[in-house]
Amino acid sequence: MNYPVWQLDFAGGGLLIAVMAILHVYVAHFAVGGGLFLVLAEHKGVRENNPDILAYVKKHTKFFMLLTMVFGSLTGVGIWFTISLLNPAATSVLIHNFVFAWATEWTFFVAEIVSILLYYYSFDRISSRQHLIIGWIYFACAWLSLFVINGIIDFMLTPGSWLDNGSFWSGLFNPTFWPALFFRTFLALVIAGLFGFLTATALQEAGLRHKMVRFCALWLLAPFVLLLGSAWWYRAALPPQVEEMVFNRIPGLQPYMRTFVICSPLLIFGGLLMAVRTPAAVRRSLAAGMLLIGLIYIGAFEFIREGGRKPYIIQDYMYANALLKEEIPAVGQNGILKSARWARLSNIGDDPGRAGEEIFNLTCLSCHSVGGPLRDMRKRAAQMSHQGLEFVISAMGKQLPYMPPFAGTDEEKKALIFYLHRSLLNKPASGD
Amino acid sequence: MDPSFLIPAPDAIPVHWFWLQLLLTITTFLHLVAMNILLGSGCIALAAPLVGRGGETDALCRNIGAKLPFMMAFTINFGVAPLLFLQVLYGQFFYTSSILMAVYWLAIIGLLIAAYYAAYIFHLRYDQLGPGRSLLAGIIVLLLTMVAFFFCNNISIMQLPESWLRYFAGGEGWQLNLADPALVPRFLHFLASAAAVGGLAVAVYYERQRRKGNAAGESWISYGCNWFTVATLINFPIGFWFLGVLPSLAHNVETLAGKLFTVVLYGSVAAAVISVIHAQRRRVYPAAGWALGAVFFMTLAREFVRIAYLNPYFSLADLPVAPQYSPLFVFLIFLAGAGALVWWMVKTVFFAQEVK
Repeated sequence: MNYPVWQLDFAGGGLLIAVMAILHVYVAHFAVGGGLFLVLAEHKGVRENNPDILAYVKKHTKFFMLLTMVFGSLTGVGIWFTISLLNPAATSVLIHNFVFAWATEWTFFVAEIVSILLYYYSFDRISSRQHLIIGWIYFACAWLSLFVINGIIDFMLTPGSWLDNGSFWSGLFNPTFWPALFFRTFLALVIAGLFGFLTATALQEAGLRHKMVRFCALWLLAPFVLLLGSAWWYRAALPPQVEEMVFNRIPGLQPYMRTFVICSPLLIFGGLLMAVRTPAAVRRSLAAGMLLIGLIYIGAFEFIREGGRKPYIIQDYMYANALLKEEIPAVGQNGILKSARWARLSNIGDDPGRAGEEIFNLTCLSCHSVGGPLRDMRKRAAQMSHQGLEFVISAMGKQLPYMPPFAGTDEEKKALIFYLHRSLLNKPASGD
Repeated sequence: MDPSFLIPAPDAIPVHWFWLQLLLTITTFLHLVAMNILLGSGCIALAAPLVGRGGETDALCRNIGAKLPFMMAFTINFGVAPLLFLQVLYGQFFYTSSILMAVYWLAIIGLLIAAYYAAYIFHLRYDQLGPGRSLLAGIIVLLLTMVAFFFCNNISIMQLPESWLRYFAGGEGWQLNLADPALVPRFLHFLASAAAVGGLAVAVYYERQRRKGNAAGESWISYGCNWFTVATLINFPIGFWFLGVLPSLAHNVETLAGKLFTVVLYGSVAAAVISVIHAQRRRVYPAAGWALGAVFFMTLAREFVRIAYLNPYFSLADLPVAPQYSPLFVFLIFLAGAGALVWWMVKTVFFAQEVK
């Protein structure tokens, strides 16, 4: 409530960040796993003294570079831009606490860019040993980027002892740091296989195509058991209240959980199918389909992880609507409109609809859209009577633990209900 | 309403602000150099075939096209770090201004992706593009210029909390700061600098080729030096226009920031003049050295101007500090490590090429 609000309505509820983040995370994991894929595929080409494999590696590197360096890098910056527009207070906490983690990650980013450019442009110009070293440097830097970012992302889910001591190191190496790091590393390898299918199935020569598709299938299948094992470890590392929230208390997460569970065998089955010799056109279609399933898979995981933080954006510290946990009593006493620096009204006055809309924008818009695809408030409120709305708002943070408590005064609660019931839905004053 | 009421409370910084300001200044300098080369050489790829030398410019444009994706990569990469340090020091101003112009601010990502892929198409499909090259170069320059304009707007809004009050009249993320008298000269100052540095970059490239015994592109040394000279001379009146509309506090020599600003301003003017003299004598490397000096002085000047703009509301010394120095040391170690790795890789590849 420190900052102005970008009133998105349709695109509210985190739609922008969901789209940007899912696309970025998919490509960013490819940037890590794909780096190892490149060097190991080149090792294979060198070991087998097979120039066709090396030519494939060069072609795949071009695809890899164009996708990860351009789209991957810029959507990464895009996430940063988006979160600072939608939740500047939380972004500020992450930036200020972890400025030197971000800065360290930037040094890896510099080395990544230089190494991948040199790797691509120095095929056949330097010895294969030197070329492979540059490839390994790329992979090491990409993985170290993941190492750092993983710490900051999981800090938001499980800040651990940072809540008590405010230590950079406690926040970075938080309780889910290691399982999440292993989980994401194995996921990155699986994704490298999925993207590998795309270029391998486009190879003209049938023998080489089959060989490389099987190589990619190995990338998909071999880490899968480890991926599922690390997912189990990740779950076990969650504090009990977070685990309970993710797996039992948030009804909205169940579809993503089901999607994740369904996609796992689909990916394994698809990987096995790819390993079998089938017509080129079938394999190409299957590769595209698998890539899409991979996107859905990682999208489901990210929705679960993000959703698991509810009602917080930084667990036990800052609520999803940017209110600090410790601020709640003071806001309850003074009111939302008086506490928010950027409120367009300082009191309810004689226009409860306008005041209610302002309260909605300040405290609800970060999770709820108006008429949009994500947690549409218009649809939800339409299903409730006046009394129902009153019950839900009072139950927030209590019987509905995945929502932040309503922080305002009783008058502000009434104004919010007035806005949802009368202004937004145009329902009669009588209530139902 | 008093705009100072709207300024959000800042979060604590982990080290003394000087360290962050130092890192902000150095990385901004790197970003500005890369950005100037990118945009300036893009302008030359657009203008050269259209003005004067027609078909002779093919090799020049091809060479520029081959470098554009690299410059794009480094401009973006070197832009990330100053954006980070800016947010640590001035986040309460910067997040606010970004939200006020959210639509344009977020559009930058799309514009950059489009410009980046366009640069790769220009490079990889140069022959197939034929006459479409100029169109594509124009699109790249237009996209980058839009990005520059939005950046100038964000900095303008950030530095003028008075302009924030328009939020209460509606706008919902569509706010630009066209009423700021410094906006247009600031923007033009950057564009002219980019054109100048782009010209000098062309001259440096062909000078390096000449020293390696490749005299084919020697005429482009003069061409690049002339671009640099003309753009720099155009930039002087723009610079004085910019100076004239800055708040008086910025160049008030009675304050420390005003004194420092005046020193670096004179320094940058002197460096630019010396650089132009070298360029006109075709002494390309000294010209480049002095031009980098001018850019560095201008980078410092920007920082002092920002301090002056925000002076009525904020001072860096006001920032709360929750000291934790060990992450800074870790960063410096990794920075040195990454630098060493980059040096080794560049040496390995370029030494091998030159031997070949």
